[in-house]
Amino acid sequence: MSKTKTFLVALSITTMATASIGQSNDTPINGTVQSRCVIQTDTPGTYGNPNAYELSTKATAGGDNAVIRVDVTLANSYYVNITAPSAFSTSPTLPDTVTWTGDTTVKTLSDATGMSAYETNKQELGMTDKYDLTVTGSTWFETESVATLGGSRAFPGGNYTAVVTAECIAK
Amino acid sequence: MLRYVLLLIVMSTSVKAHEMVPTYPKLEPSYMQGLLKTSVTIFNKRPEVEYYEIGVFTKDWESIPFVSTYRVFPVPYLSTVTVELFIRNEDKDNTTYICSKSKLRKSYETRTAVASRICSKVKRRGE
Repeated sequence: MSKTKTFLVALSITTMATASIGQSNDTPINGTVQSRCVIQTDTPGTYGNPNAYELSTKATAGGDNAVIRVDVTLANSYYVNITAPSAFSTSPTLPDTVTWTGDTTVKTLSDATGMSAYETNKQELGMTDKYDLTVTGSTWFETESVATLGGSRAFPGGNYTAVVTAECIAK
Repeated sequence: MLRYVLLLIVMSTSVKAHEMVPTYPKLEPSYMQGLLKTSVTIFNKRPEVEYYEIGVFTKDWESIPFVSTYRVFPVPYLSTVTVELFIRNEDKDNTTYICSKSKLRKSYETRTAVASRICSKVKRRGE
C-alpha cells in the first residue's frame, strides 16, 4: 500500500512538472518589415457649387479638398507626384469647355523638423506637384480643384467626378 | 468616458490605403528560356477599390511588354495579392519601373476621387 502511495505521489509530481513545462512554452510571432510607400485616402474630396458656372472643393464654396496621406518607411527612397484634376471622369454633356485650376500643398507633417522643406522644395509642373520624401514618416497633402465652365454658362444638373492622382515612385 | 470617446474615434476612422512591395524588385531567371521574372505584392486597404492595374515602364515612362496572368486583376479589400511578371531578356536593361494603379469605378456623386499609383524601381549596379 505504501509503495502504491509513493508511486502515485511520484507520478503526480512528474505530471505537474511536465504540465508546467508545457505551459511555459513561448510562441513566437514573426514578421518582417519591408520598406514601402503607402498611399492613403484621408478625404476623397467634394465639389461645392458656389455659383452656376463653378465647381470648387474650397471650404468657402461648400466643398472639401481631397486629402491624401503618404507614409514611407525608408528615407530618401521615394518621391510623390500629386496631380490635380484637369477633366471630369464622370459628368453630363457640357455645353462649353471647362477651365481647371488646382493646387496641392502639404497640410500636415509627422516630423515638422525633418520635413519642413517639403513644401518649399516642391516642383510644380502644370497640375502636378512633385515632392521629394527625404525622411521616413507620414505626410498629408491637400489638393484643391476648381472647374469653371466657359462663358459663365451654368453646369447642367447631374453628377460630376474628377480624379486626383497620387503617385509614389521609388528613386 | 474619455476612453469611450477615443475608442469611438479610432473605430470610426477608416484607413483607405494602397501598398506595394518590394521597393526595389529584382529580375531573376525564369523557367522559360528568354524570359526573366519578378514579383510584386499589393495590399488593398481601400474598400472602394476592387481592381488594380500593373504596368512595366522604362526610365522615360515608355511601356514595356510583359506577361502576367492578368494586367488588371482583383485585389479584394484587406487582401494581399502577389503578381508574377515575366519580362523579355532583351528588355532587361530598359526595365526601370513596375507600377500598380488603382482602378476606380464610375461614381454617382459630385466629388473628386483619388487614384493611387505606386511604382517600384528595378535598380542596376551602381545605382
